[in-house]
Amino acid sequence: MRKSIMLVAASALLCSSALAQAADTKVGILMDITGPIANFIPPLQNAANLAVKQVNDQGGLLDGNAVAVYGDTTGTSQGAVDAAQKLANVENVPIVMGALMSGTTIAAAEAVFIPTGIVQLSPTATSPAMTDMKDNDLVYRIVPSDNFQGDVLAKMVLDEGINKVAVTYVNNDYGVGIGQTFMDAYRAAGGEVVAEVKHEEKKDSYRSELASLTQGGAEALVVVAYAGDSGGKIVKQAIEGGLFTRFVGTDGLRDDLLIQNVGAEALKTSFFSSPTSPADNPAQTTLHAAFNAEYGEGADKAFVDQTYDATFLTMLAIEKAGSADRAKLAAALREVASAPGEKVGPGEWSKAKQLISEGKDIDYDGAGGTYEFDANGDVRGYVGKFVVDGSSYKQIAVFE
Amino acid sequence: MELTGLFFYLVSILIAGGIYALLCLALNIQWGMGGLFNAGIAGFFAVGAYTSAILTTEMSAKHLGGFGMPVAVGLIGAGVLAGLMGWAVARICVRLKSDYLAMASIGIAEIMRLVIVNESWATNGSLGLAGIPRPFGDFVSGRWADLVFLAYVWAVVLIVYLVAMRLYDSPWGRSLRAIRDNEVSADAAGKNIEKFRVQTFVIGCAFMGVAGGLSAHYFRFLSPSATDPLLVTFLTWVMLMAGGSGNNRGAIVGGLGIWTLWSVTEIFVNRLPPEWVTRSSYIRMLLVGLLLQFVLQKFRAGIIPEKSPPIRFRE
Repeated sequence: MRKSIMLVAASALLCSSALAQAADTKVGILMDITGPIANFIPPLQNAANLAVKQVNDQGGLLDGNAVAVYGDTTGTSQGAVDAAQKLANVENVPIVMGALMSGTTIAAAEAVFIPTGIVQLSPTATSPAMTDMKDNDLVYRIVPSDNFQGDVLAKMVLDEGINKVAVTYVNNDYGVGIGQTFMDAYRAAGGEVVAEVKHEEKKDSYRSELASLTQGGAEALVVVAYAGDSGGKIVKQAIEGGLFTRFVGTDGLRDDLLIQNVGAEALKTSFFSSPTSPADNPAQTTLHAAFNAEYGEGADKAFVDQTYDATFLTMLAIEKAGSADRAKLAAALREVASAPGEKVGPGEWSKAKQLISEGKDIDYDGAGGTYEFDANGDVRGYVGKFVVDGSSYKQIAVFE
Repeated sequence: MELTGLFFYLVSILIAGGIYALLCLALNIQWGMGGLFNAGIAGFFAVGAYTSAILTTEMSAKHLGGFGMPVAVGLIGAGVLAGLMGWAVARICVRLKSDYLAMASIGIAEIMRLVIVNESWATNGSLGLAGIPRPFGDFVSGRWADLVFLAYVWAVVLIVYLVAMRLYDSPWGRSLRAIRDNEVSADAAGKNIEKFRVQTFVIGCAFMGVAGGLSAHYFRFLSPSATDPLLVTFLTWVMLMAGGSGNNRGAIVGGLGIWTLWSVTEIFVNRLPPEWVTRSSYIRMLLVGLLLQFVLQKFRAGIIPEKSPPIRFRE
């Protein structure tokens, strides 16, 4: 008896279909929710939810509401492919926002989304390998490739008058991608890399890595790693040991957690690079105000802008295509993201819906940039320079 | 939900479940039959995955090879190389008693995995290998390619199952069980214990390598995130324990069953109310843990426990 009640309850839950009505349209959201970048995720889920909520508050998607369906890659290829299969086949989504890590994004695309003809738009995957993928024009991203951030970081460091650095980067696609392009660009522009150490994640002590990094008298330590993992520990242990006083970090390290762990005082000469939007972008101000009004805080967290924009763009593409037909969405995505067209910004769903219904062309310029896709589905971007300000960061310059 | 979608989801579960069934069969040969506690599955899996990927991809400047060979050659290569690595590891530490072997194997296999992941001249390091072909990939594309791959995976599982059943029923397999259950008496009966153990270890590792190769062809893209020990080593152990160690059918049931459990739970947690959305992935992990506890408490010896083959005498 108990068993049959459970069975009925389970099947009722399964059939309830995420409260979706017949006219509702699902939007797939693939994120690395559990796994190595788990501490980045909560504000990003809020950002995606905010986009969906705004759409539903302002007239809805097509003839019904938009419904976000999440998939968790667990940060592994196995999990990414499995979650992607569920989005593509069980939930039957027409378009997917995600994933966040490059490895999971590419595995999901190659094994699932390209064969099933689903457009995938990643807000954060930066691997250079995605540029040349044979993807039938289905895989897009709205952050520039790592090649871009590495180049800009090199320029930033030289502009500060730092000519000798030690470099350490985490051994994954993110760290190696930015680390290698940074060193190439830095050397080419006349800088000297006196020590270079590739390190593994999830260790407790990085003192031996730091010992080799201090050889050679570098003026600053460049850390390409995550604050919640190796990056944070390296900075902390370097400060404790008095080995380095000046750090240069990337978006992975630019996390409030770092300031909580080592204190703002110890980071006052350090600076960080992170993909951002143009210096005074009214779209970003609008988004941040809306985000903080909804969730209280967190609008300035890394990749909130990009995640919101990517989610909003996927829904614009569906509205533009006029139906949830997978085959039409690649062309529709290009049209709504690219100039020419009437400008639409974050939160302006009713305006966009109105323009689309009138048959006018629109161009979404988001909080994180203007997003003009090239032939490979890549964008050029902006990289901001951040310094510590109290318990968070402030942007002091933007590089294009 | 539409029916074709559900059908293809089922196909994807069966593919991934088939690969795990293969890993469980391999582990069952080592642990279930031979009593060898191999905690380094991810290492042999990685060797196989990278071998098969390098052998079958097109020529590339980013990594060793590729050699553009057929998928079957890649998988055989994966088995051979993983078997060779298994032999080398076995030579070093197979004489160790169970828990010490576990420690040694987890260490050596992690070394192997990290060496592979770091030697970027051969494997393109953390940026990964792209463009790995599927078997018969030239003839079918799109969704239907998954069906062909499903047949391919289960053909391999069937072959390995038949081999494992034959081994189990053979004098060799009986000697192994004798060694596993009472090493001293097997030694007294004149069995060369070390030789048997090395053979067992090598055969198991070779099959683990084949499973790795199949994963690479399934994902079409191989990066270090495919060799995570949590999802390869430990999940395989849980599967074998739940399915029934010592029983080849149990190994397949465990691999397929636990993978289904792992995968399907997400569909349920996605149906939770929207305000739970930021927590649902963690609820899923909790749910998987609870269900495993239930299975392990209810079926202590696994869902299909070990049964010794009947003794047959010649007339």
